[in-house]
Amino acid sequence: MKNNNINVVIYAIGILFIGTLCGCNDFLDREPLDEVTPDVYLNTDVQLADYAITLYDFPTHSGWGNGTFNIDNHTDNQATSEYSKRYIPGTWRVDQDDDDDWNFEDIRECNYFLEQVLPKWKNGVISGNANDINQYIGEVYFLRAYQYFNKVKIFGDFPIVRSTLPDQKEDLVEASKRRPRNEVARFIIADVDSAIMLMNNAPIGGTNRLTKMSAQLFKSRVALHEATWLKYHKGTARVPGGPGWPGNDVDYLKDFKIEIDAEIDYFLNEAIIASKEVIDEINLVENSGEYGGLDVFDNPYYSMFASNDMSNYNEVLFWRSFDIDENIYHHNQHYLQNNGGNTGFTKGFVESFLMDNGLPIYASGSGYQGDATVNEVKVSRDGRLRLFMKAPGEQITEERTEQFPDILAIPEVKYVTGYAVKKGVNPDDSQGGTGGSYTGSIVFRAVEAYLNYIEASYELNGSLDATAIKCWKAIRERAGVETDFNFTIAATDMSIESLGDWGTYSAGSLIDPTLYNIRRERRCELMAEGLRFMDLKRWRSLDQLNNYQIEGFNLWGGDMEDWYVSGNTGESKLIPEGTSGKQPNVSNPSNSNYLRPYQIIKDNNLAYEGYNWHKAHYLSPIAYEHFLLTSDGDPTSSVIYQNPNWPVQANGQPID
Amino acid sequence: MKKKQVYPNLNNRKSRPDQLLSSSGRVIVLLSMFLLCNLMAYAQSYEVKGVVTDTNGEPLIGVSVFEQVNPITGVTTDVNGFYKILVGDENAKITFSYIGFSTKIVEVAGQKIIDITLIEETTGLDEVVVVGYGTQKKVNVTGSVSAVSSDKIEERPVQNMSQALQGIVPGLNLVSSGGGELDNPLRVNIRGTGTIGDDSNSGPLVLIDGMEGDMNSINPQDVESISVLKDAASSAIYGSRAPFGVILITTKQGKEGRMKINYNNSFRWSSPLLKPNMLDSYKFAMYWNDASINAGQNPPFSDEVIGRIQAYQNGEISNETVPSKWGNWWESYTGSHANTDWFKEHYKSWSPSQEHALSITGGSNKVQYYLSANYLGQNGLLRHADDTYDRYTLTATITAKLAEIVNIRYNTKFIRSEYETATHQNSLLFHNIARRWPTNPVRDPNGYYADGAEIIQLREGGRESSEKDNLYQQFKLDIEPVKGLKFISELNYRTKTKFNGGHTLPAYAHGVDGNPYAVAVGWNSAGSTSAWEYASKSTYFSPNLYTQFTKSFDEQHNLTALVGFQSEEYNTRDIGASRRDLITPDLPTIETATGVDKISDGGYAHWATTGFFGRVNYNFKEKYLIELNARYDGTSRFLKEKRWNWFPSVSVGWNLAREGFWQPLEDKVNTFKVRASWGELGNQNTDNWYPFYNTMPIRIAKGKWLINGKRPNKVSSPDLVSSLLTWETVRSWNIGLDAGMFNNRLTLVFDYFNRYTEGMVGPAPELPNILGTDVPRINNADMKSYGFELEVSWRDKIGQVSYGVRGVLADDQQEVVKYPNEAGLIDDGIWYRGQKLGEIWGLTTKGIAKSDQEMADWLVKQDQSLVGSNWAAGDIMYKDLNGDGVIDWGSNVVGDTGDNSIIGNSTPRYKFSLDLDVAWKGLDFRMLWQGVAKRDYALGGPYFWGANDNMWQSAGFEEHMDYFRPEGHKLGANLNGYYPRPIMSWEAKKNTQTQTRYLQNAAYIRLKNVQLGYTIPQEFTKRYGIQKLRFYVSGENLLTFTKMTKTFDPETIDGGWSDGKIYPLSKTISGGVSLTF
Repeated sequence: MKNNNINVVIYAIGILFIGTLCGCNDFLDREPLDEVTPDVYLNTDVQLADYAITLYDFPTHSGWGNGTFNIDNHTDNQATSEYSKRYIPGTWRVDQDDDDDWNFEDIRECNYFLEQVLPKWKNGVISGNANDINQYIGEVYFLRAYQYFNKVKIFGDFPIVRSTLPDQKEDLVEASKRRPRNEVARFIIADVDSAIMLMNNAPIGGTNRLTKMSAQLFKSRVALHEATWLKYHKGTARVPGGPGWPGNDVDYLKDFKIEIDAEIDYFLNEAIIASKEVIDEINLVENSGEYGGLDVFDNPYYSMFASNDMSNYNEVLFWRSFDIDENIYHHNQHYLQNNGGNTGFTKGFVESFLMDNGLPIYASGSGYQGDATVNEVKVSRDGRLRLFMKAPGEQITEERTEQFPDILAIPEVKYVTGYAVKKGVNPDDSQGGTGGSYTGSIVFRAVEAYLNYIEASYELNGSLDATAIKCWKAIRERAGVETDFNFTIAATDMSIESLGDWGTYSAGSLIDPTLYNIRRERRCELMAEGLRFMDLKRWRSLDQLNNYQIEGFNLWGGDMEDWYVSGNTGESKLIPEGTSGKQPNVSNPSNSNYLRPYQIIKDNNLAYEGYNWHKAHYLSPIAYEHFLLTSDGDPTSSVIYQNPNWPVQANGQPID
Repeated sequence: MKKKQVYPNLNNRKSRPDQLLSSSGRVIVLLSMFLLCNLMAYAQSYEVKGVVTDTNGEPLIGVSVFEQVNPITGVTTDVNGFYKILVGDENAKITFSYIGFSTKIVEVAGQKIIDITLIEETTGLDEVVVVGYGTQKKVNVTGSVSAVSSDKIEERPVQNMSQALQGIVPGLNLVSSGGGELDNPLRVNIRGTGTIGDDSNSGPLVLIDGMEGDMNSINPQDVESISVLKDAASSAIYGSRAPFGVILITTKQGKEGRMKINYNNSFRWSSPLLKPNMLDSYKFAMYWNDASINAGQNPPFSDEVIGRIQAYQNGEISNETVPSKWGNWWESYTGSHANTDWFKEHYKSWSPSQEHALSITGGSNKVQYYLSANYLGQNGLLRHADDTYDRYTLTATITAKLAEIVNIRYNTKFIRSEYETATHQNSLLFHNIARRWPTNPVRDPNGYYADGAEIIQLREGGRESSEKDNLYQQFKLDIEPVKGLKFISELNYRTKTKFNGGHTLPAYAHGVDGNPYAVAVGWNSAGSTSAWEYASKSTYFSPNLYTQFTKSFDEQHNLTALVGFQSEEYNTRDIGASRRDLITPDLPTIETATGVDKISDGGYAHWATTGFFGRVNYNFKEKYLIELNARYDGTSRFLKEKRWNWFPSVSVGWNLAREGFWQPLEDKVNTFKVRASWGELGNQNTDNWYPFYNTMPIRIAKGKWLINGKRPNKVSSPDLVSSLLTWETVRSWNIGLDAGMFNNRLTLVFDYFNRYTEGMVGPAPELPNILGTDVPRINNADMKSYGFELEVSWRDKIGQVSYGVRGVLADDQQEVVKYPNEAGLIDDGIWYRGQKLGEIWGLTTKGIAKSDQEMADWLVKQDQSLVGSNWAAGDIMYKDLNGDGVIDWGSNVVGDTGDNSIIGNSTPRYKFSLDLDVAWKGLDFRMLWQGVAKRDYALGGPYFWGANDNMWQSAGFEEHMDYFRPEGHKLGANLNGYYPRPIMSWEAKKNTQTQTRYLQNAAYIRLKNVQLGYTIPQEFTKRYGIQKLRFYVSGENLLTFTKMTKTFDPETIDGGWSDGKIYPLSKTISGGVSLTF
């Protein structure tokens, strides 16, 4: 059997040979073939641009509904069908876990970028246009600041993280220590300053990209926010060093010192400086004075909010564009053009708009026509009310006119108060179907810098300087209102204004009429632009809420009841709350002539008696899980401290 | 040259002399010599004739009859079972062989007429089972292996192997993943979940004739047998590719003998297995209004609309909707008054399918062939999407004996499958059907399909299709230079190509004036057109080289040894492209579209493995058995230092029935074998093929913020990868018992196993959120699976009636043994030590308060304010388990869970099947029941809860009307309703907490298959040359018994957009014929 043995040997050698050949490690060394490893990335201007743009996360129109024009819901300006838990103390609880707010993902994304890019940048190894490279690095500084500002608004004190952290619990616990809010605000301003230094005003993509000017406007917003917060919340636990401030009890903040008045002045000054940069550069878009018919669509002040392409409006510093073909679109024209969009302006808001002669509506000789109909409300009023609130019979799109407000519709499309939003309505009927709409969405508008300047300089000096006066007049002129604001101030009755404007209060007391009129200007100019709740919180304008009733139009006291008579039967479709045997669809006239959206249903309705406030609600509670994760099992031993008046307890309610 | 005897066991047909072996060492020489041998004439002079019958005396047609020394001149029996053969002399040996019967070798010994009775092969412990790299006598198997022969899956009106195998093999779990879409295969595992976490998977390795393949792509009719290797000892030979078991599928091979042609077909009618019963529009409106009122909202249906709904139902008006207030569109939802059952509208009542299969087999003892072709054409259940699945398969296997010691086999399988449906058919459709209101009309008053019915989109919005080609090619050479020593080389090569393509066409609804307006199709914008193609190709190459040595010493010591090498290389590439704006809808191709070029894919990927393996089997008189396995395995998925690993295993068995002391029992219990095994394996089946490489997540043109009108690239920081990461190990032990009783009429197989998956790359430990990214995964978790499998079968014959019963019962449970969650937090996607997989935590329900007073009284003792507010009649009263006066979840960590407790477990337990068959003369009947004996399920979503939370996401079915209504309610009081009062706002959450009252018993038993066949007696068919003609009817999923709420199919509860929103499974009735020439 000699040959067989040879066979065995041949085969054994064969197996061994092939085995070694294939089995060697080279055969098993298989790197990804179509994926990019970090060492070859973030090396060119274009890569920096892509990274930065991925982090763009701003409130813009999306999905079904009115888009950003509904952000002001749940304030004294605007109401939606369902009440908000934040005005019903006891229903807003501490979450068990929440990864949306106490979230550091975008902050880490920015930190990763800066860690990778700054050394390469300093060594000059990033290829591409130097201006562009600077721009994108500046954007990431801006984006980190923007993220941090969101955190300050939600939580106040917040950990400051400047680098990516290792996945080691001890390091992370250490990094989780909260820093006082004014420090965080200073950190934000430092980042924005870096951004301002690096960015330019004409990046690739124009005003669809962040610019130096946007950064300046944003800086003024941050600084004014912090300054007024410190000023009006001073003496509470919500200000670093204040009585009951939880930071007082933690070891790592024992060396913390604050000169609060100096701190306020610092932030006001920063706000003034930053806003001035914008004011000097940008004039307001013109109001051509066309308020109705098809002509209104040619009024730049109207079309600025409703255009598909907003790049021609220099007042729009930063906006987002949409394109159905790119699958980036929204549906807000389906609502803005066709229905009430589940929102509505409140009576208080509508009434705080001045007459075009500069007088409040209640002043003698104001010429106010009353509110028997929505149309009469708008006669001789501030041009902004005339432009940006719907009234029956008005041209709403190129082909259609506005009908009677459907206050009986299902929530999604309801005219909640009878006073409907007209800001941003694009006249192109084809956008109003179900196929999607693509009007632009404004993120930053230069007029906010004007308003920030007026408010900051008045808060700082107690008087208005020349720039402030110039700005205020420019705004009023554009609004079609008598520019002499002193005339208005003199005619202002704070007790009447306080009924419909929470901003008449700070810390539970009425403010002076000049400051109030500055706040009024801001309220009216930034109508439906989503900044109202931020303002009310920083002004501490919610303390006084006590069974406050949100109201809409004059349903029962004017002529509008007749709008809801059925054409077929001649009977009213309105069923007031309390009608026996019937399902109510409007509030009862015995409570108020004005439609009260939260008094339509009585049973099971926690908002029926009106809105209230708890001081804990100025800041959000931190979810229970974060205390647990930063402790050794005992959440109360965490380095994170809870916000004032909130418990460290899942599902806990605000205390005292 | 000494004469050798017939080889023992394994293969008694292929006995031959090996005198030629010593004359040459080279294959080539052997080959040519052998060919010469074959050409030599052989003297044949002695005639033998006779009749071959089966044990019933029925003649057998087509039996191969040949002289042993000269197989090439064999004959086959005719229709009367008659044969006549010339053999060498009166001392020749004649072989009689026939599929399904034991081969008989008869010495002529001077006889002229030899009548033979062939005995049907009995399945039992004597059978040979396929194991890794070889076969083994079942009686000698020491690992845990289940074998199934093709008759268990025959003539089932199913699409693929996994459907056919469901419930058949104990421990092989095949469960529905999502719904019954024609291209949706079942999910498969062996012995339950093997790993927790996303980045490795615990699916079994599927080998088709030794090559990795897709079990669902092959034609079930080509399958000869299936072996399932369940424990580590059996699968260790496959190393890191098979830590969670192996499914070995062996396809049919050519058999020597007369050519046989089989044709069979099946015509099927399928209907949806379960359609929820939608409420009629009036009840629906009442229900909706009630739910909104309970939420403190205005009712969505006004009296005016309700009036129209009633008028329409009473036949007073014929239109189903009215123009909207703008006058341009038709009203829908709250404004229309149709009465549509959307399930009836979207699903067909019956949908036909058909299958045809043809196979040809035969051959000499040198060359055998098997050829088969199969066509399956299935139609789906969707009325408007017109979904279809077609499969074409072609298989050829040729085996040839090139020389006495050289055998080759070439096998090729080609499978094409085509799936086509409407572009608009995506999972959102099933979500939408459920939330489509009955008030929406199917057609508008002008007769057009209405907007909001999604019929237009399905019918007009374009088609998409997927075409997959699988080509398997296998070449096997085995050389046996000395008896007992075999060298086997296998080259396996597979290519898969897949083209997915489709297009979107504009779909138009019509306004009141009859003018069309475009509606959105799928995720596309309204009115847009586009065409896209996606193509991928993958190649798989795997050489296997192994040597097997078998030797018996003194007829007592039996030794088999195996060493080998295997390597695998897998490469894949793909490309995807699309363009918008078709020039004309009639030419929906990229070539004829004018939009911007979009390339969506275009990449390459690969992996490879290499392994060296060895096995030694030894037994003493088939009484004491031992098997040792080892494999040294390397994989490309891990970095150099962690790439190679040893995987050892051992198994032992003891066949007590062969012991002397067993003799008294032997006539009752013929086999009684106990066995035990242990083995360790690594799992390289990571979802990411490069888990150690840091990569930048870059997605081209996927940014959401348009710059200059275009989507920029989307890129973010790379995920963290831990340097500690390595692979998970799977260790298992198994003990088992095989018994055969009463002459193997009763057989029993029992296994008990423990499988530990250690160092799992499970979900990452929780770290403070400030990390800002996903915590890198490490090998941080251990779990164990344990359970048992039992298979009992009884097969007997009473007179003319032969019958069999086969019962299968299997159970597995998983428990987390180690997990980095010291706090014991209870949450989704996180585990704690000691947790059983599938645990359901929930509150304990006291009941529904029948009056406000009852609720008020209840709340005095237990504060429910943490669950919700506005408690009233019709709301849930929860039990205060810990007696602290507050209903809460404590801190939601183990040990402090408040009133939350484990109320059930969703792991399917005690999976069973019962297979009964009876045959009497030509009639045969079979019934297969399959089910799960224990399972809890906490259902969520609108299919279960009905109108709750948000009216656009709610559903209204008949079952939902059984909700609490107080005395005096206008729909009639229902104080003992099953559901709480519906609330159309977020407040509904207070009643829809996971809780004992709504825990479902998801156990079920289903009549998977029932078959009745009739074989025409041969005396009628043989004159036409037909060997066998059988007609049959077969039904699939005909009956289901479950205690679950009627809205759900127990097999598909956890799929879809939310529970129950799935493409339904189907009930199928089929009939066909099987014809063999």
